[in-house]
Amino acid sequence: MSDEDEIRCVSCGITITGPAFTSFPCPECGEVTIARCKNCRKQSNHYKCSECGFIGP
Amino acid sequence: MVEEDTLIPVEDYLKAGVHIGTQHKTNDMEDFIYKVRDDGLYIFDIGKTDQRIRTAARFLSRFDPSKILAVSAREYGKRPAELFAKIVGGKSSVGRMIPGMLTNPNLDHYIEPEIVVATDPIGDQQALKEANTSGIPVIALCDTNNMISNVDLVIPANNKGRKALSMVYWLLSRETVKEQERLADDEKFKYEVEDFEAEI
Ligand SMILES: [Zn+2]
Ligand SMILES: [Zn+2]
Ligand SMILES: [Zn+2]
Ligand SMILES: [Zn+2]
Repeated sequence: MSDEDEIRCVSCGITITGPAFTSFPCPECGEVTIARCKNCRKQSNHYKCSECGFIGP
Repeated sequence: MVEEDTLIPVEDYLKAGVHIGTQHKTNDMEDFIYKVRDDGLYIFDIGKTDQRIRTAARFLSRFDPSKILAVSAREYGKRPAELFAKIVGGKSSVGRMIPGMLTNPNLDHYIEPEIVVATDPIGDQQALKEANTSGIPVIALCDTNNMISNVDLVIPANNKGRKALSMVYWLLSRETVKEQERLADDEKFKYEVEDFEAEI
């Protein structure tokens, strides 16, 4: 898999493998795919859209 | 906050008690809280609630409507969640959720939603857990005392009151069908807030 194919958690930067992570279009602008790892979801860590600056959750 | 900037007049939000939280707040919800009242109740910043309803509607409109699942284990959320699902073209699960509904393909009731709307992270913890296992994103109505673990988009609001729940779901339904381009800006939404209210 090329580096472009790697999915990284937008909050902690970890390369995501396996199930139980989630990814979705930025709720605000829909332009960027937001991926959150299991841990960041669990800890409710913030994520930020690189396109519009939206901060979730 | 300018009144014209909100989806409905601020007084209407206040009358429905959408801004009224609980006597507890979590760190998770701090960003959305405006103040603590003399009687100890935490109060939401209604401008932020309003913004998040818009964002949630926009978010929901990007999914195939039939892949939207609304859940409410608790009583007052049942009718609003069901009606919301019907209006936006999705599915609902109210009352106790069948374990495995989102995780066990062998079940008759197994479904594969692409987005889950939960009424309360505590009441709907089974749905949140299964959405987490299956990697399904979650929008949740969160009160001041809620943890937002496994929630991907928070709608900060009173998620316990009958009128507050009907108001939030009514608005979310209206804004979602607008974003889905199934309701024009000048067209009247055919449902009233009262239609969403649970029977007492
Ligand atoms: Zn690589
Ligand atoms: Zn992470
Ligand atoms: Zn964005
Ligand atoms: Zn925060």
